[in-house]
Amino acid sequence: MTDLALPAAPPPRLSRLRPVQRTGAVLLAGLMTLVVLGPMVLPYSATETVCPGFARPSAAHPLGCNDVGQDLLAGNLVGGRISLAVGLLTATVATAVATALAIAAAWRGGFWDVVAMRMVDAVMALPFLPLVIVLSAFFGASFWVQIAILCLVLWTQPVRELRSQAQSLRAADYVDAARAMGGSGWHVCTRHILPELAPLIVPQFVRIAHAAILTESALSFLGLGDPLAKSWGTILFHANARTAFLTDAWLWWVLPPGLLIAASVVALALIGHGIGDRYADGTVAAAPRTGASAPRRTEALLEAADLTVSYGGQPALHGVSLAVPRGATIGLIGESGSGKSTAAMGILRLLPPAATIRSGSAWLDDLDLMGLPPETLRALRGRRIALVPQAAMAALNPVRPVGAQIAEAAWVHGLRDAETRARALMAEVDLPADRYAAYPHELSGGQRQRVAIAVALAAEPEVLIADEPTTGLDVLVQKAILDLLAQLSAARGLTVLIVTHDLPMIARRAQRLAILKDGRLVENGAPEALADRPNHPHTEALFASILRLDAPKAWTRAAAPMTPVLEAQALSVTYGTSLAARLRGRQPAEALRNVSLSVRAGEVVGLVGASGSGKTTLSRAALGLAPITGGAVRVDGGPPQPGGPAAMIFQDPYQSLRPAMAVAEAVCEPLAINGMSKDTRTTPVRAALARMRLPSDDGFLLRRVGSLSGGQRQRVAIARALVAEPRLLLADEPTSMLDQSLRMDLLATLETVRAAHGLGILFVTHDLALARHFCDRIAVMQDGQIVEEGEAEALCAAPQHPYTRALLSAAEA
Amino acid sequence: MPWLRTVAAYAAVFALALTINFALPRIAPGDPLSFLLPEDVLAEMTPEDEARVLAEFGLDRPIPVQFADYAAGIVTGDLGVSVTYGAPVWDVVIGRLPWTLLLMGWALALSTILGTALGVMAARRRGEMGDIGATVLVLAVGSAPVFWVAMLLITLFAANLGWLPSYGAVPLMAREGSAEWILGVAQRTILPVTALTIAQTAGVWLTARASMAVALSRDYVTFARAKGVPERGVFWRHALRNAILPIYTNATIGLGGLLGGALVVETVFSWPGIGQLVVQGVEARDYNLLQGVFLVATLAVIAANLLADLTYPLLDPRVRR
Repeated sequence: MTDLALPAAPPPRLSRLRPVQRTGAVLLAGLMTLVVLGPMVLPYSATETVCPGFARPSAAHPLGCNDVGQDLLAGNLVGGRISLAVGLLTATVATAVATALAIAAAWRGGFWDVVAMRMVDAVMALPFLPLVIVLSAFFGASFWVQIAILCLVLWTQPVRELRSQAQSLRAADYVDAARAMGGSGWHVCTRHILPELAPLIVPQFVRIAHAAILTESALSFLGLGDPLAKSWGTILFHANARTAFLTDAWLWWVLPPGLLIAASVVALALIGHGIGDRYADGTVAAAPRTGASAPRRTEALLEAADLTVSYGGQPALHGVSLAVPRGATIGLIGESGSGKSTAAMGILRLLPPAATIRSGSAWLDDLDLMGLPPETLRALRGRRIALVPQAAMAALNPVRPVGAQIAEAAWVHGLRDAETRARALMAEVDLPADRYAAYPHELSGGQRQRVAIAVALAAEPEVLIADEPTTGLDVLVQKAILDLLAQLSAARGLTVLIVTHDLPMIARRAQRLAILKDGRLVENGAPEALADRPNHPHTEALFASILRLDAPKAWTRAAAPMTPVLEAQALSVTYGTSLAARLRGRQPAEALRNVSLSVRAGEVVGLVGASGSGKTTLSRAALGLAPITGGAVRVDGGPPQPGGPAAMIFQDPYQSLRPAMAVAEAVCEPLAINGMSKDTRTTPVRAALARMRLPSDDGFLLRRVGSLSGGQRQRVAIARALVAEPRLLLADEPTSMLDQSLRMDLLATLETVRAAHGLGILFVTHDLALARHFCDRIAVMQDGQIVEEGEAEALCAAPQHPYTRALLSAAEA
Repeated sequence: MPWLRTVAAYAAVFALALTINFALPRIAPGDPLSFLLPEDVLAEMTPEDEARVLAEFGLDRPIPVQFADYAAGIVTGDLGVSVTYGAPVWDVVIGRLPWTLLLMGWALALSTILGTALGVMAARRRGEMGDIGATVLVLAVGSAPVFWVAMLLITLFAANLGWLPSYGAVPLMAREGSAEWILGVAQRTILPVTALTIAQTAGVWLTARASMAVALSRDYVTFARAKGVPERGVFWRHALRNAILPIYTNATIGLGGLLGGALVVETVFSWPGIGQLVVQGVEARDYNLLQGVFLVATLAVIAANLLADLTYPLLDPRVRR
């Protein structure tokens, strides 16, 4: 479905069924054909008496007859119609009800969500079968009543899961984006949430059908079925009443209906569950090398030699060689997908099951890590070569105290006094002693990373491999962690390999840099030498993208006219004041306090601060999406409202565009919401794409967003923001998720667009150096307040507030 | 006070069960009296009799008053009288409860241990042929109706091999409490528990396999390996310790299903538990009895869930306090 007058898009590719699911589908189709067509072929019906009671199987009656002389084969086939129809009809109704309720509850949120979910919880806590029995006893057991009862009891089952999924979809950036464009609840639910939820609805349908078929059989077996209708359950009920299982009759009377029920249910289970889930995740203990080793060429303590790794046949590392001399700190740099983490984890032989180490060696002294038996390698890990992981929250075991996790790293290597060591290490990494028994969730992000460092050092290793050790931490915390790492490795004479995408940071700290691109080492040398004489264009692009605080300002603009497009006056925003939030026991949180800021047409104002400082809240307030509790905000002279003259560009284009959408559909969404007719939409969409220097031919318009690169996606997202001709762009860290080398290009495009249309831009970022170069003015935000504001260069040259100074020193260090 | 919220949530469940029970005879098609009295009695009654009975049961009063009376009766243990047994429903049901709990307890313990052990082992070999084969097999076994499995068990072990008795719960000739009696009960417990365990294990197996597979794919397992923790320690201290949490939760959620399974299996073995009451109640249209079973079952499930809710924080530090 596309919203443009365009050549028809190719039909969406049906997601391929996995073999196990296909088996289930074939089995179910076979059973349905059998019960639908079977009775038409048989010469007698299931209810006429055709032979003596309890007749044994014969050629005419392959399954014999029951106590009143009815043919059992006919009974099983006709019974299947009832059993399968009950299952599938119940599943259809119950799933539809559950989906509607789940989306409505997730969308409305607040009080009605609480009420709906409490009701679902209560129904689900009732004992299932006794409830169905009581209902059936009172209401009788005709076919339709049975379906109604099963629906009444089973509709709750999918609500929880679907609602929690819908809730996370509701929080998705692309939903925020649609709301910012002025999209109604109906638009968002039907165009974004329902299509994304669809793949999850199928297994829920299957699960209900599964439960309904089994319950129907149990009810009939208990004598609560329709006594006149045959189903597999009633056949078993009669068999049980006549104790057929004590005679030979079990073979033809008891076995077939049970097998048919089991076959139907297993077919549904196979379709719904699938198998072989998530098996590409995680790591294997020690994946062995499959090919040849490579000799050691240097005297370095750690040396990767011709290391080649592939993922399911796709090469990820091509013969990477890298030496880390004893006591040195080497930076391994690369953008996303360059193979830098594969190289680091490959040296430790801690790769996902899908990865294969094809050939090459990793030498630790004279030991080839790629060729060691697992147990020998295990004894080296942590003891001689240790890992500082990225995202310590995930790397620490959530249910064990952090002290015990540090101590464990010591005692598994037979070191004595593990607890004493752990406590000493905690002091060394500046963790309070009373945090020994704390669990990871009780620590801050910085503290968790300190724990991870302590774990790495617990068995006194010689080599540290730090895999993006500061990902996801605040700027100031990043600096503290890197300083700590540098100080500890200097004190202990450690040999360190730091894997990172942050070139300016590592260039100041490492003796040598190795740069990876597309799985190949393209550069290796001292930072200054690489900056001055890059050998590879990629290196040059990387260094060119570093914005230094002491370099001349990259973008200078003529003074902007005095027309303000954004004016915030003493603005306060407080979340969590609603009844539902109070019911959940939450404290109201002040996200903005008394904030005054203006952006003029054609002006770029930087809003700088740590995550959680309220930067994004200000943007949301300008879109009319935040609960304003004090002061006022005006956009282009009017009150803020979704779909108004402000447009938002989100941080992460992987989140802000729904991957299943076509480019055309994504870009024209604001126009569709505004109700522009289909024929007139094409021209502005093409123009917006062209402005972002993207192709605007039909082929590109029909491409799925999911097939684009990160840089292209962000340009599409910006084109979507531009298509409605906004007066103000709210750019929320638009370059932070992009690879370093793409940033300058994107900023240049943004600048061209700004100049051409006289747009005002509120540029939200945590990167003070970037703000100094790209913005005309800067406002520094901390804890919901603006602590300092001024001309970009002047503010950086003479910061007044201590927080600004701390940010500057972090950017310099 | 999270525990207060938990208790309130379960009070709401109980209130819902009460409301359903109260509403059913009043909204179901047919005369409310037909749900109170046996058909033969009803047939001989004059309209005056009927009015008198309605007044006697308070059915002529306003609905809120009726509900208050009903709720007060329930709280004091008055679930009405069973026409089948001519005795208070509460006494009848409570008398049978231990027999049903005996089956459920064993089945819960065995299926949890068996399902967890096998599922966790499968997770370590996930994606291999053995795992896929085992999953299909487990799905197939778990898809069979539990009463049908029970019938086949009787066919094999009682009718053909003659190893185990298949009828009732107690040996008829033995004195209650004697060694012979206990042995007889134990023998008669084996087949129903086996049927229930077979049906219940599949669900545990799937949960255990999935949660262990997730745990093994987590970064903390990788980091434990990077520390040099031996595979045995990775398995027990890191992966299984985390995988236990969803298994524990699911075992308690599965209790309602287990109870339903027990009711059905009991009818196959003529086991003197609550399931037999259900069949008799259905046959004799003893509505009070069926409603009593539903209410007691609700209470049992609430009690089990409450226990699980209150003990879960012992396993998971993240939800403490």
